[in-house]
Amino acid sequence: MSSCRKRCKREILKFAQYLFRVITGTLNPDSIEDELELSAVRHRPEALEQLEAQTRFSRKELQILYRGFKNECPSGVVNEDTFKEIYAQFFPQGDASTYAHFLFNAFDTDHNGSVSFEDFVMGLSILLRGSVQEKLNWAFNLYDINKDGYITKEEMLDIIKSIYDMMGKCTYPILKEETPRQHVEIFFQKMDKNRDGVVTIDEFIDCCQNDENIMRSMQLFENVI
Amino acid sequence: MAAGVAAWLPFARAAAIGWMPVASAPMPPPPRDKKRGQDGLIILNVSGTRFQTWRNTLERYPDTLLGSTERDFFFHEETNEYFFDRDPDIFRHILNFYRTGKLHYPRHECISAYDEELAFFGIIPEIIGDCCYEEYKDRRRENAERIQDDEENDNNNDLVMPDLSFRESMWRAFENPHTSTMALVFYYVTGFFIAVSVMANVVETVPCGISLNRAKELSCGERYALAFFCLDTACVMIFTVEYLLRLIAAPSRYKFVKSVMSIIDVVAIMPYYIGLVMTDNEDVSGAFVTLRVFRVFRIFKFSRHSAGLRILGYTLKSCASELGFLLFSLTMAIIIFATVMFYAEKGSSASKFTSIPAAFWYTIVTMTTLGYGDMVPKTIMGKIFGSICSLSGVLVIALPVPVIVSNFSRIYHQSQRAEKRRAQKKTRLARIRAAKSGGANAYLQYKRNGMLVDMEEEASKEAGQALVCKANPTFETQHHHLLHCLEKTTNHEFVDEQTYETSCMEVSLAKPSMSRSSSMSSSPHGLSSCCTRRNKRKSFNVPNSNMAGGRRGSIQELSTIQIRERPLSNSRSSLNAKFEETVPLNSEEPSYITAAVISMPTPPVTTPEGVDLASSHDFLQSNIVRVSAL
Repeated sequence: MSSCRKRCKREILKFAQYLFRVITGTLNPDSIEDELELSAVRHRPEALEQLEAQTRFSRKELQILYRGFKNECPSGVVNEDTFKEIYAQFFPQGDASTYAHFLFNAFDTDHNGSVSFEDFVMGLSILLRGSVQEKLNWAFNLYDINKDGYITKEEMLDIIKSIYDMMGKCTYPILKEETPRQHVEIFFQKMDKNRDGVVTIDEFIDCCQNDENIMRSMQLFENVI
Repeated sequence: MAAGVAAWLPFARAAAIGWMPVASAPMPPPPRDKKRGQDGLIILNVSGTRFQTWRNTLERYPDTLLGSTERDFFFHEETNEYFFDRDPDIFRHILNFYRTGKLHYPRHECISAYDEELAFFGIIPEIIGDCCYEEYKDRRRENAERIQDDEENDNNNDLVMPDLSFRESMWRAFENPHTSTMALVFYYVTGFFIAVSVMANVVETVPCGISLNRAKELSCGERYALAFFCLDTACVMIFTVEYLLRLIAAPSRYKFVKSVMSIIDVVAIMPYYIGLVMTDNEDVSGAFVTLRVFRVFRIFKFSRHSAGLRILGYTLKSCASELGFLLFSLTMAIIIFATVMFYAEKGSSASKFTSIPAAFWYTIVTMTTLGYGDMVPKTIMGKIFGSICSLSGVLVIALPVPVIVSNFSRIYHQSQRAEKRRAQKKTRLARIRAAKSGGANAYLQYKRNGMLVDMEEEASKEAGQALVCKANPTFETQHHHLLHCLEKTTNHEFVDEQTYETSCMEVSLAKPSMSRSSSMSSSPHGLSSCCTRRNKRKSFNVPNSNMAGGRRGSIQELSTIQIRERPLSNSRSSLNAKFEETVPLNSEEPSYITAAVISMPTPPVTTPEGVDLASSHDFLQSNIVRVSAL
């Protein structure tokens, strides 16, 4: 009861103040909404020596990488939208945003919503200079969307659909509805040895190591930098 | 593609490892990196100002001067640098384009100097970034207009224009009176007669003395009726002749008749002719008198003589919404206050506020601070509300007026700019689309030439022949290799629009022939949505073939069955008739089938194996029955 009365009193006081202000015509002070300036997210990467130690790139390569990275993202971090934009420029005919989303999650190892130069260079170090085991590990991590250690058919279907989305509409032969699904079936037939409907990391690595084509294609991008 | 993104190509290629485990086909071999470790600094000496940049930066755009071998022509051996005898200030922007991928236009530079520099360095102006593009286009158009105006003035000063036909010269004389003396004379004569006609209209109504017969003031019009009639006739004749001449000379008569000025002309002279035609009937002459009001519209004919009037008319037209809103808010306020005043004054006796509409007059007079005093509130409440009304009237009217005045200029310029932006938006979208298709087309082009040449290149490398293909920069080949990898992963190829559509047609054409084979192992082709549109055009000449087993739910399937249906249903002539009526399209061939097919939903394709032939047959048949019952 007393709290109610207190509240009523407060309200009446506020109303009286408002009326007073209206009658005497004081102008409202400038609202303080815009005080918080958009705090510019800035990120400075670790020193060159540390990165050299952590990754398998040489000093010169790191320099080239950083120059390109900083050119496109002056603030030092990439957020998902910029990432999608950049990736979409390489695939003008199709829609690369879904695959870019998965890629972003694969690069963003600490899941803070942005990819810093360290994340970027660590990922690249695995992809370009890592052992086959590490590369396959990375690929498995990419396919495992919820990072639970198993690739389910739904996750694989999402990945494959996103790859097909990058092709766009104008393809030969014409993309049909069930093509991604068939692709997933083929993949699971190959990879899922114990037919339990999911692919674990061991099954994946085993199967890839036995497949010549995949092994050969892993070495494809060695000299990209 | 933006140059900055070129730096991310290695990343995109590395990320392609993610496709490898799911690839359907083996990957193509990577392009050989022809130049390695050649990323040196290049010195560009532009009229003494030295710029330095990486070689790779310049080579991002190989179709410009700096990015191609053309720059070798400017190499200066003694100083080991590239020397350009051009403007260094503008060169700064050009070099920034290579660095950032965005071309900016400096506002303080002369537009033609800038254009010259761009042309020299082989950069097309269309790639100017969005931030500067509007400004660039505006300046360019201004410049073009200025040059054009100068030319026009020069042309107009030439009195000799031999090639115009009589009609065209007449039209030109009407539109630009200062081109010839005849036109000028005509211009002033019509102006004079417009003024005379308007003055006559005004003077007609002035009281001019008392007639002795009746004790009433006569207006001048009635007293000197004949004189005024002659004057009016003369003016109308001149106006009619002018209108007819303009009509004959107009290049597009229909457009001329629709234009505002011609409507004003017609309205100005009509009353006279109507008055001539009508007899001195008492009933009709009342209406005739009203028509004479329209003679005042002759004053609008002055707008041909005054540019200011035209601008005023145009701005009023473009401010119409603002004025309309002002009127609307005023109306609201009037209704509110009139209601309040009416009810406040209801009590007082002999009140002039007999109804709410009667109170409208008081409200308007008060709000516009006129205050005639013919209606005055008497009760206290009425006076209070009356004063509130007049105060709010000051606010409501005085505030928007300066706003509208400033709106005039703002809206005028804004409408111009909106038009510009709309036109530029179209071109900008076209640019973006062209860039996109350019990127895609480059890859398709590469596939046609590049793939073959790659083999030859390897073969003739020992021979040391410099191939034309070598001009392809590393970036392009790597990007194409990436796209090629994607093709191999998905086992589909990139094609361009036309090939895609022709292949769509082929697929749909192949349907009837394939329906004969009842192979269940063949992968079924559901028609993609694009092909249903194509199907409309086809004439179904499929004979009464047996239904192919295992075809599940293709629309084509239904149509074949329907074709078989048609001859059987001759007896149901009423249904046939109904069929024909519902089809509005493609009358050249009996394609009512197609219309019905499209409206039907595709039966869902769920079971991958073992389609029950009988059941599907029934299902499809039942569908057909439903269709034919349209």
